[in-house]
Amino acid sequence: MANFVVKRDLPGITPEALQSAGFRAKTCCAEMTEEGQPVRWIRSFFLPETAQTHCYFEAPNAAAVKEANERARIPFTHIIEVMELTPDAV
Amino acid sequence: MTDTELVAAFAITQAKRCGLDEITPDELLLGCLRMISQFGIVTFGRWTFDLEALGVDWLENPDRKGVKPAYSQALVDVFDLAARIAKADGANGIRIDHLLVALWSESGLMGELRKTYGITSAEWRAAAVQLSVARQVKEVEAPVEKRESVRDYLSPEQAAEALGLHAQTVRAYIRSGKLPAMRVAGERAIRIRREDLEKVLEPLG
Repeated sequence: MANFVVKRDLPGITPEALQSAGFRAKTCCAEMTEEGQPVRWIRSFFLPETAQTHCYFEAPNAAAVKEANERARIPFTHIIEVMELTPDAV
Repeated sequence: MTDTELVAAFAITQAKRCGLDEITPDELLLGCLRMISQFGIVTFGRWTFDLEALGVDWLENPDRKGVKPAYSQALVDVFDLAARIAKADGANGIRIDHLLVALWSESGLMGELRKTYGITSAEWRAAAVQLSVARQVKEVEAPVEKRESVRDYLSPEQAAEALGLHAQTVRAYIRSGKLPAMRVAGERAIRIRREDLEKVLEPLG
């Protein structure tokens, strides 16, 4: 499994619309996992100053992350593979 | 999975079953109705709906293969509205009653139900209120047994909270022998049996 960040520009988005998007992401990931294509939404960070959202996903490849976001109908600008660093691992 | 996630999962499955590329508010409505149904019969407010008459085979094992439907924009709007309703309700997340209220003004299946049964917005919302109350009562009642079984043994802090005393006071009672307590073998942690709490209480007069 690899980690990916999905970047989105969501100007003017409300906290409720973010909640709705999160629900859609969660349910689409669950469905794809049931289909045998495991995708997991890990967490998201909303950057209020730039109205950008960075969402972290775990999946075998970028195509699966793209499909999950398209099926959840959440717009995105980039999907980039990332390396995970945590305080416990350094 | 939460009940709301199960509703969404059913909506996706229903779209697959019908070979749809997009999941519409119709499938979500059927998902909500199925979640609150028993043997294919939905009792909601003053209405009784038969899932079979609405085209849902409630006994069928869903086949998840084949098409990979996406949420339609109309359904995204319903989810957005449901999230706003949930916020207005002071809820932590979107529940089935929020989805049902958000679906009321939709055309399609909801429009047909509105027309056939003469459903007003106020009646529909009132039925959703009834549903949320009934489900919350169930939730409150369900964990009681579990709560008691996991708290047979309390930490001094939990015992203090149960008695309405300061933790220091409880530790003093333990030191003086007024409150029986045990040490977890080989550890510093102290545990008090819930039934021993009454030993520090005496009746008035």
